[in-house]
Amino acid sequence: MDFDAIVIGAGPAGSAFAGRAAKGGMRVAVIEKKKDLGTPVRCGEGIGGHWFESLGLKIESGVGYAIEGAAVYAPDGRELVVKNDETTGFVVERKIFDKQLAIAAARKGAHFYPKTMATGLVKEAGRIAGVSVQRDGEAFEMRAPLVVSAEGMEAKIAREAGFNCQANLYDVDSCYEYEMAGIAGCHRLIELYFGNKIAPRGYVWVFPKGDDVANVGIGVGGSMGADPKRLLDDFIAKNPRFKKAEPIEVKGGVISVGAPIDSFVKDGFMVVGTAAHQVDPIHGGGIALAIEAGEMAGDAALAAFEKQDYSARTLKKYEDDWRAAEGQKLSKRLKLRKVIEQLNDDDFNHIFKEIGDSDMLKVLDSDFKPVVAKILLKRPSLLKVLMSLV
Amino acid sequence: MVVKIDDSKCIGCAGCVSVCPVMALTLVENKISCDAKCISCGTCVKVCPARALRL
Ligand SMILES: Cc1cc2nc3c(=O)[nH]c(=O)nc-3n(C[C@H](O)[C@H](O)[C@H](O)COP(=O)(O)OP(=O)(O)OC[C@H]3O[C@@H](n4cnc5c(N)ncnc54)[C@H](O)[C@@H]3O)c2cc1C
Ligand code: SF4
Ligand code: SF4
Repeated sequence: MDFDAIVIGAGPAGSAFAGRAAKGGMRVAVIEKKKDLGTPVRCGEGIGGHWFESLGLKIESGVGYAIEGAAVYAPDGRELVVKNDETTGFVVERKIFDKQLAIAAARKGAHFYPKTMATGLVKEAGRIAGVSVQRDGEAFEMRAPLVVSAEGMEAKIAREAGFNCQANLYDVDSCYEYEMAGIAGCHRLIELYFGNKIAPRGYVWVFPKGDDVANVGIGVGGSMGADPKRLLDDFIAKNPRFKKAEPIEVKGGVISVGAPIDSFVKDGFMVVGTAAHQVDPIHGGGIALAIEAGEMAGDAALAAFEKQDYSARTLKKYEDDWRAAEGQKLSKRLKLRKVIEQLNDDDFNHIFKEIGDSDMLKVLDSDFKPVVAKILLKRPSLLKVLMSLV
Repeated sequence: MVVKIDDSKCIGCAGCVSVCPVMALTLVENKISCDAKCISCGTCVKVCPARALRL
């Protein structure tokens, strides 16, 4: 079987790439080891509002629940409500959302191979020539001059190709999540609960999917030694809102909250989406970033296809475009994460007391200076911790 | 050596696969298996959100 490009993984990154490349005339194969796209869900399923315009995403009714803002809680329970284009958005049903992206790519001419697992790279005279795969007990080769890893966190083939996709404990969050029905008091706000006792180096989230249905999850720092499931069960048991709530699904996973990998392309190979650790280090969101990267990589692949030159030099257009669009923002977010993780509960309570909703908006826009100045006025002891932000 | 997997706890998230330094773990249809490459480093045990792994 010969193609122009083989994509490993039919998540948002893989389908976005495939749609773009197939539309431009490339013969694209997407291989996905699961028989069922989009399951099991490993996600809070939230997507910020600003993405819908910039990526031209459409949400059909029944696939997403509109969100109007975020409520953030300090360890002592103090609430800040933030409404901007990042905290509005949708909580989507990923089982359907992912499938719709695949359907759109298939309509543009991409070929899909579910229940087909990539097991290794095929090389010819030292150059990438395809992947070896396993399907229905059969092992065979699929050939193409370009292989695209959209493998998500596993990234085994990308690692075989020499990319540093192995995640380290310090730079991941370990997450456990229930979808629950019968929750009292959901208000079209995503809720985030901070505190070292609630979720060491992380938070508990409630992402509503309906008036009384929500994803209720927890992420804790991978190197904290905490048991996320036990902490989440405690949180739910202690909060009267969940008294009548029933878990209807169990989800969870491990997500990168570190820096993107150092390079995204080699001769005949690209890494897109969460496989390349293109994830927001503050909230672990990676769906929209994966789609954006997939589209950028698709455009670069088309340019390479025109020239029949799949060298790293030609493919690097994707990496340059992506870093120009997201690199700086995400590196500021990573700095912020590393500051937040040094705060104790007292610091958190104090900061929430001092700052207002408009300060929170500034922080989300990476405009740290005025907020840091305000906090330091009342709590100079945080100088060392906060200095890296200004 | 290989890690012991409690399938009754595992949620099939592949988190363990992402941190294993020697790629000893594989997820196929929600089932994790560990092969002989495992060096018993314990990283996967620490990251598993469902506490499904033991050395
Ligand atoms: C608990 C949790 C909560 C999250 N919450 C949010 C959120 O609220 N909002 C948000 O934006 N993001 C969230 N994320 C992150 C988000 O889920 C990912 O960033 C997103 O799924 C990345 O898309 P992707 O296409 O890069 O990879 P994935 O969606 O992971 O897709 C990769 C695909 O590749 C397949 N694959 C891997 N290896 C092979 C192989 N060898 N052969 C064939 N197929 C293979 C996999 O089976 C998988 O289907 C969360 C993550 C976790 C763990
Ligand atoms: S990290 Fe734990 S729950 Fe997730 S696949 Fe591995 S063993 Fe299963
Ligand atoms: S113990 Fe270490 S080497 Fe063995 S499977 Fe787990 S992470 Fe891999």
